[in-house]
Amino acid sequence: MLIEINGEKKRFNVPSLSLAELLNSSGVESIEMVSVQRNGEFVSKEEFASVAVIDGDEIDFLYFMGGGSR
Amino acid sequence: MTVFASQAIHGENTRTDAHGALRGPVYDGVAFEFSDADAIRLAFEGRKPAHAYTRISNPTVTEFENRVRLLADAFAVVAVSSGMAAISNVLMTLAESGANLITTRWVFGNTYSLFEHTFKPWGLETRYVNMADLAAIEAAIDNKTRAIFLEVISNPQLQVTDIAAIARVAHAHGVPLVLDGTVTTPYLFRSKDYGVDVEVISSTKYISGGATTMGGLIVDNGIFEWKQNPRLATSAHRFGPGALVATLRREVFRNTGACLAPHNAYLQMLGLETLALRIERSSSNALAVAAWLESQAKVGRVNYPGLASFPAYELAQIQFPRGAGGILTFELADRNAAFDFQNQLRLIRRATNINDNKSLILHPASTIFCEFGPDEKQAMGVSDAMLRLSVGIEDVNDLIEDLERGLAAL
Repeated sequence: MLIEINGEKKRFNVPSLSLAELLNSSGVESIEMVSVQRNGEFVSKEEFASVAVIDGDEIDFLYFMGGGSR
Repeated sequence: MTVFASQAIHGENTRTDAHGALRGPVYDGVAFEFSDADAIRLAFEGRKPAHAYTRISNPTVTEFENRVRLLADAFAVVAVSSGMAAISNVLMTLAESGANLITTRWVFGNTYSLFEHTFKPWGLETRYVNMADLAAIEAAIDNKTRAIFLEVISNPQLQVTDIAAIARVAHAHGVPLVLDGTVTTPYLFRSKDYGVDVEVISSTKYISGGATTMGGLIVDNGIFEWKQNPRLATSAHRFGPGALVATLRREVFRNTGACLAPHNAYLQMLGLETLALRIERSSSNALAVAAWLESQAKVGRVNYPGLASFPAYELAQIQFPRGAGGILTFELADRNAAFDFQNQLRLIRRATNINDNKSLILHPASTIFCEFGPDEKQAMGVSDAMLRLSVGIEDVNDLIEDLERGLAAL
């Protein structure tokens, strides 16, 4: 499947994977600090393991550095 | 481990220091280097978690923010340069020109000045109500209201109001409650438990450990759905519950240069470690001093939330079971008596600060409120006969001896 991550297309040889698996396999650092959008919608950290990413999805992640955010 | 005093000392105890140091290093510098051009690009785009420039973020400040978040059981914390920076940054993030803020005239003089002299020319209207009158608060709210703001115990009027009830009114209308919790800190009053959405704190006071450094805190308790706020709606779509903090960090806090100096963050972390001990002593001293003042014939009204004579005593006992903090006010015959009294003191210092380790006395009408006329001062509950005493952690008998010296001169 083809996923667009932060504006760059990336191919995965699996039919689907969880958002947590995608972030891990993409080498996203400090996952506890990242803010994620899937197809333009905010995804809470509690949902990372349960949200499935499928072919054509657009995933965007951003950090706003600084402490105290959980 | 969930007890405040233990958490204040140990934090999350994550043991991350390379050398096993029990205190983290102070990153007292400005810029951070990147391995290559792409890495710094990614950091600026927010695609890589890295500190780039201390005005925006710094590892020592981050450690301080994390410690406060733990103590407040909050969603997120942003440390800033002062308590006033905390108030101004939050309100600039929540409101826009043409919007309004609901508050009370019974606030710190510089806060009132911020509303009247700084924000008003930029088009933010401030509506003043009595925070003890829930119907008046509700009547003042309209679709342009962006926040309700009050102090946990107003300074120097020492008004105590039902904060949970005010939060319910605010939330019924989709408005966040912003509370200045400087004089209680999360040790005496955990604002999240009372429905407060954002707490602002001048960490210059109790938290700094004895007036060591300036600082402020913005504490987002993670209660409010920021999509209800027009200015944050877009950010809420992108960052969910992190909308307020993201807008602060990516815009208002960054652009106003409200950052906390790393060395200040270090000293304030030291202050956190002894916070519980110092607040307990300050509160017990204040109660003893207030009771003593109340027994003196030359002293008029004594105002302290821990006294049984305090108008909202029962409410204060419920909201502040660990103590009512270190600030009290009392009245003498007139302004001259207030000045003569101050001039006799040897231990208690004449200075404008609160919640220091030292006891400090001030005549609010001629200092913090000097920019306001007689009618405004009266509306703000500040009389010419009033003295504000911030009770420190000295021996209480020495404090009473000093106060006796002052009264003997009248």
